[in-house]
Amino acid sequence: MTADTTITPSPGPRTSLREATREQGVRRFKWTVLSPLIFLMVFILLPAFLLQGYFSFFAFSIFDAGDDTSFLSYFRASHWVGLDLWKDALTDNKFAFAIIRSLLFAVGVTVGCFVLGFALALLMYRPFRGHGLYYIFFILPMLTVPIVIAYTGEMILYQNGPLNDILSMLTGTEVRAQFLYNQKTALLTIAFLEIWNWTPFSFIIMMAGLASLPKEPQEAAQILGASKWRIFWEVQLPLLRPVILLALILRFLEAMAEFPKTWGLLQGGPGSATETIPAYIFIHAWQFFDISYGAVLSYLVLFLMGAIVMAAIWLLRREKKSLDAMYESKPQEG
Amino acid sequence: MFEKFKWSELSRRDALKAGTAAAAVSAVSPLMSGTAFAGTAEDAIIAAAKKAVPNGQDLTGLMWGLYSSGAQPVMDEFGEKTGIKVSKLQDISAFEIPQRAMAEALSKSPEFDFFHVDTNMIPSLASAGLIEPLDDYMAAANFKINAVGDFGKFLTYKGKTYGITTDGNVHVQFIRNDLFSDPDERKAFADKHGKEMAWPETWEDDLELMKFFHRPDQGMWGSANLRDRGSSVAWWYMYLYSAGGFPFTDDMEPNIDNDVGEYAFKTYLDVKEVSHPEAPGWGTPQMIPRIVNGNAFSCQYWDGIIALAENPEKSKTTGKWAYGPVPGSRFSGKLLKRSISTPNVGVLVNRHSPRKEAMAYMALYMGTAENSARIVGDPVNTFHDPWHVEHFKPGSLPEKVYTKGGMDAIKQNLQIVTPPIFLTGLLEFETELKRNLSEMYAGDKTAKKAASDTSEAWARSIRRIGKRRLRDELETYKSLFPSIDVPS
Repeated sequence: MTADTTITPSPGPRTSLREATREQGVRRFKWTVLSPLIFLMVFILLPAFLLQGYFSFFAFSIFDAGDDTSFLSYFRASHWVGLDLWKDALTDNKFAFAIIRSLLFAVGVTVGCFVLGFALALLMYRPFRGHGLYYIFFILPMLTVPIVIAYTGEMILYQNGPLNDILSMLTGTEVRAQFLYNQKTALLTIAFLEIWNWTPFSFIIMMAGLASLPKEPQEAAQILGASKWRIFWEVQLPLLRPVILLALILRFLEAMAEFPKTWGLLQGGPGSATETIPAYIFIHAWQFFDISYGAVLSYLVLFLMGAIVMAAIWLLRREKKSLDAMYESKPQEG
Repeated sequence: MFEKFKWSELSRRDALKAGTAAAAVSAVSPLMSGTAFAGTAEDAIIAAAKKAVPNGQDLTGLMWGLYSSGAQPVMDEFGEKTGIKVSKLQDISAFEIPQRAMAEALSKSPEFDFFHVDTNMIPSLASAGLIEPLDDYMAAANFKINAVGDFGKFLTYKGKTYGITTDGNVHVQFIRNDLFSDPDERKAFADKHGKEMAWPETWEDDLELMKFFHRPDQGMWGSANLRDRGSSVAWWYMYLYSAGGFPFTDDMEPNIDNDVGEYAFKTYLDVKEVSHPEAPGWGTPQMIPRIVNGNAFSCQYWDGIIALAENPEKSKTTGKWAYGPVPGSRFSGKLLKRSISTPNVGVLVNRHSPRKEAMAYMALYMGTAENSARIVGDPVNTFHDPWHVEHFKPGSLPEKVYTKGGMDAIKQNLQIVTPPIFLTGLLEFETELKRNLSEMYAGDKTAKKAASDTSEAWARSIRRIGKRRLRDELETYKSLFPSIDVPS
């Protein structure tokens, strides 16, 4: 018996009518889902995007708009500067350092969250007694507001705080580490807080990924006598690659935008040790009220993040294709 | 109806008659205007408010909860008497309100009727068109700001009054008197330095004292001055001004990349050796407990901490402190002492609000001698600090909370009080300054480099905000400085 034994019915008028109705339903559903998003894009995001573009070439000063209360005051208080602000931003050393800090932070946090989240997911994806309780316990940090984590972290991480006391007790020597206010460790400390805050996110994604893995290849490998490690390495991990990539990408993008803990704890300090991209843009847009320069910086970050997202989409597609190819090329029965 | 007046027809007798009548009217008119505002200052404001807003109004504003609890009884009372009530407050930190107010200026929003904010933001907020001048309302209610020394000027910008202080913050010198007057300590100090221990006249004297009492192994740090990236900029101003410096030239160029600027940065940095190692990240929430729990020998700090330190329910050091004028500097060739008021928190009225009249009278009501004393003299909510002349009269309500010694010290420091950069763009200038102070303190750069980097950053800010605008504001900024070198 060959695999090609399915009888395909010839498309009759009733079938094509059903097909057409179905396609219409799918189309309607797509539009229903997409319409609010398109509305949002066209009427809110696009004008904001265009205005930002405008103000990146026309320097706006809030102090020139003071006595003018009309809507046009924003335009009247702006003057043409061409590419000056773009040139300033591209040669702005502090901004370059902010990008480097953000990238280092995001990479570190992404890896940290993923490793821990995946490890927890591997421990948790098979049901056991008390499973639900552990699950709640593990996702609890994600439900905590980041600014609360910042202040809780501050209390724990003081030089005379409980963490140093615990470390002193465990090591038998007096530990008086400066986690927050040392320039060399400040960003690392915030990264640890971020990892604690968002590991549950990676954990949930990886749990879902592990739960959705097809059982057959794993069972087949088991029957063939493969060790648990080999099953993990050669079966589970390749199948999980798109999910892993998704977890990494989403976490990376989120980490690049981290602001509450960085600002709430250290406002960019000590020195400029925690002046990441969001902190730097916040300083310019909301402390200097240099809306135009803030717009330019935001655009540059948008381009950077756009490039990263495009690369991520390309990687995801490649993974999906290779996975599809793997399924298609599975051995024929008989 | 009216005939054309001809000078030729005016007789000498007519002229004399007219002169007599004019003299009589001018003599009587002040008495008449006085009778219009007969009664207390509060009555006059209530009458003016009722006349302007007969049906009352519900108001809303931005105010930190730590401040609103002290001011609430006075606001409620005004509501009962006029129907003008503060029915809703958005509670955000006073340190966040400047940015928030600027955002309101950007959107020209009428949502909030007032902002309880650092009045040093007046130039920025007035330039951005957000705040309403109060002079007309003050005239209608016959209200005058009666602050100690020149402190009332801190509410003015280009000749107009824009706010009413509720918290007259000023830095005061704090010294642990129990240690300072301990005979053994005094002898040890005299043995070590070859001179008697004395109240610090200069920053250098202060550092010497702080070094002597810096005993981290006993949980005692020499200094509790802030060195974080938030509020610690206040100290830098005191160092600069007392050394005879001013941040800008008359032509509105940065004026700190020089000896006096470097001195201010270096003096700021020198305190590092007597500060807690975590000081670069500590703001008031962390430092205040250390002060009142007895972990610091001295500091220059906001005067409100006197009330806290002298409250036995909240402090372990009640009765152990001595208060006085902040140290100064002889850098300019003579001893100059300069304290600082930042933030000087007060009520500013939103010009875009349709209820601005009602809010203006509410603000004035909070600023009378009696009401401000009630706000400042609240024994529990001690965030509002003394500023009105009447607060310093013996037996006043604030004196009961701040002690006689504390009030004397506040008054002395108010006599030599200075503002931070009282120009449009305060946040921008200060953010650059804070960044450089923090980088220097963290060891990234020297005092000289910090001075030159700040100067460079300020030059950019000046270009962006507009040199001419800032130059026009310099006169107001300079007018806020005290005329005396040291307090009496």
